[in-house]
Amino acid sequence: MELNINKSLASRIVFYVLVFCVALFLISLGAFYFFSKNQLEKMAYNNSQAVANQLVFKTEQVLLPITKIANNYQSIIEHSTLNADSIYAITRRIVANNSEIIGSAIAFEPNFFKQKGKYFSPYTYRENDTLKTIQLGNPNYEYFVMDWYQIPMRLGKAYWSEPYFDTGGGNALMTTYSVPFNAIVDGQVVPAGVITMDLELDWFTEIISEVKILESGYASVLSRNGTFITHPNKEWIMNESIFSVAEELNNPQLREIGRDMQQGKTAFVVSTLNGVDRIMYYTPLPSSNWMLAVLFPKSEMYLPLRTISIILIILIVVGLGVLSVSVERIVSEQLRPLSKFAKSAREVATGNFDAALPEITTDDEMKDLHDSFAHMQSDLKNYISNLKDTTSAKEKIESELRIAREIQMGMIPKIFPPFPNLSQIDLFAMLEPAKEVGGDLYDFFMIDDNHLCFAIGDVSGKGVPASLFMAVTRTLLRSVAPNQTSPAYIVDKLNQALSSGNDSNMFVTFFIGIINTDTGIVKYTNAGHNPPVWISAGGKVEFLPVTKDIPIGLFDDFQYQEREMVLKPKDKLYLYTDGVTEAENASETLYSEKKLINCLSIYLRSHPRELIQQVAMDVAVHVGDFPQSDDLTMLSIIYNGDKA
Amino acid sequence: MDIKNEKVGDFVVVRIDGRIDTTNYTEFEKIIAEVIDGGEKNLVLDCKNLNYISSSGLRVFLITQKRLMGAGGKLHLCTMQPSIKEIFDISGFSTIFKIYDSEAEALSN
Repeated sequence: MELNINKSLASRIVFYVLVFCVALFLISLGAFYFFSKNQLEKMAYNNSQAVANQLVFKTEQVLLPITKIANNYQSIIEHSTLNADSIYAITRRIVANNSEIIGSAIAFEPNFFKQKGKYFSPYTYRENDTLKTIQLGNPNYEYFVMDWYQIPMRLGKAYWSEPYFDTGGGNALMTTYSVPFNAIVDGQVVPAGVITMDLELDWFTEIISEVKILESGYASVLSRNGTFITHPNKEWIMNESIFSVAEELNNPQLREIGRDMQQGKTAFVVSTLNGVDRIMYYTPLPSSNWMLAVLFPKSEMYLPLRTISIILIILIVVGLGVLSVSVERIVSEQLRPLSKFAKSAREVATGNFDAALPEITTDDEMKDLHDSFAHMQSDLKNYISNLKDTTSAKEKIESELRIAREIQMGMIPKIFPPFPNLSQIDLFAMLEPAKEVGGDLYDFFMIDDNHLCFAIGDVSGKGVPASLFMAVTRTLLRSVAPNQTSPAYIVDKLNQALSSGNDSNMFVTFFIGIINTDTGIVKYTNAGHNPPVWISAGGKVEFLPVTKDIPIGLFDDFQYQEREMVLKPKDKLYLYTDGVTEAENASETLYSEKKLINCLSIYLRSHPRELIQQVAMDVAVHVGDFPQSDDLTMLSIIYNGDKA
Repeated sequence: MDIKNEKVGDFVVVRIDGRIDTTNYTEFEKIIAEVIDGGEKNLVLDCKNLNYISSSGLRVFLITQKRLMGAGGKLHLCTMQPSIKEIFDISGFSTIFKIYDSEAEALSN
């Protein structure tokens, strides 16, 4: 369980770190990919351009010397006196001296040399490492109409022929360079013929086909009319042109490219061939007006990037794996004390405030937690110890109060009916203190055989002081009353005793009556107490008229009055303290004398016990849940009449 | 309980608002004691807004009465609600205290 706390926290941190790192890597990878892509494109473009330029350079290196040789011999022929037979030697010399030239002709205009007839065109060519010299022209081969002769003559400038397959020797691809020359005839400069030099293109196709750009990129050379001179697809060579391919593929863009190439333009284009985007770079070969194109699939530019990306992703995945394991380890290690704290907290909760705490050697938040925890432990210990002391002190007071209440309750008579042998009267009383001990009292006792004294009182205030005062009053009453049948005398004596030295100014309201059990005559004195209720057998319920005398304990020289009444048989007296009439409910409404009279009227025929219980219940209903605020004391006496 | 004092002529009028019972009589006792300790001899307790008084409260009235009498002063009560007057009547305190129907009467005696 405690391991799980750390584990989950650690894995959560690992999760956040991973999310952050992955996001970071993705952004970095994206940026890297974007910039690298641009860079690779640039490199591929530069590379293809460089390759093309190199090819142009290499081609020119071969072709340029040929043009120079041709120009030299043009110059030689134009500046020498032309001897028809020496022309053979010249052609032999051209071929002999220049290994790359496999054949050379010097062809003249028809009938240029009268003695040679219409056709004169000495031609030397290589055959199996030997040179052979012939005269080309004859009625079957009217060279004047051939391209290699006619075009340079017409244009008046040098001309590279369209490549062709040598029909004579082997299947070699060849081209012919033709340079026209003039002669002075009759003082006039006139076009006299053409010097030609045959060139094999094997070397050329070789260097072109050696070119490899990226994975499958290649170079291709096209002739002026767009025919493929070199191409990886051998079948296309001399058989297809860029235009025929464009036609076949129905690719107008390719046709457009072909036209641009014919116009000698240099450009990069992106062209879709056979469903693959290809980058094409084309440029003219200056000396021959042929056209060079290099092309490669666009996707291959990014091949290196793909490899690097895969490597990077593998590295990142491995790196993140290592990272998460390390973070998980580190965090778990750092949080280990937490689970120990949790364990200690549980121990503290069970009451062991000395539960051991994990040792923290670092000076960080963990240390703060440790110190706070230790502080909490010591505070808790003190608090609990104080609480124990307070509780035991409180318990002691409560137990003393309980005893005080027992003593107090023991002072008042509680056995009912109190005088089972005295049939003339019966009485019932109850005292319910608001606190543990109260200031109310009642008492009753026989003074002599036919005089019963009964009293009720209410000491000002409540609690222990009131109960002490009550105890004193009750004790004094019992010591003054014997052999006295005058209540006023008894109250005077009580008042004198309680007033002297009454520095606390406590007082007690007091009602005392003495009934003659034979006659029903009641003599009574009221010292500031609520007047009792007289419930007559006839159904009258009314307050007993009383003298307005002050409570006991105020002025020691006060003279109390005494009154007298006669109880008829079945008449009752009901005595109470203000705890009854002033019992409050939650809305601070008092029970009131009116309600008391009403209740007493309902139960006017009841025996004192039932009467008091009914009033108590009615008061309880009135008060409801509100806490009892004052002592509740009642006493009721019924006069049954003479025993006779 | 809310208590306000006002000096009117020779008297200090103490106006009691609310109730005096076992929970707050000591507070009331303290306020009255402060007034008397301040040298005042003549007090009027205005009971117009006194709603309830317990025996503990009556005791404070009594202590006040005794202290002022001993010092040669006066304690006048006035404008009591009927329920309060009844308590004073029942307990016989009406005979101990001087109770007036109006404040003006209490001040002029």
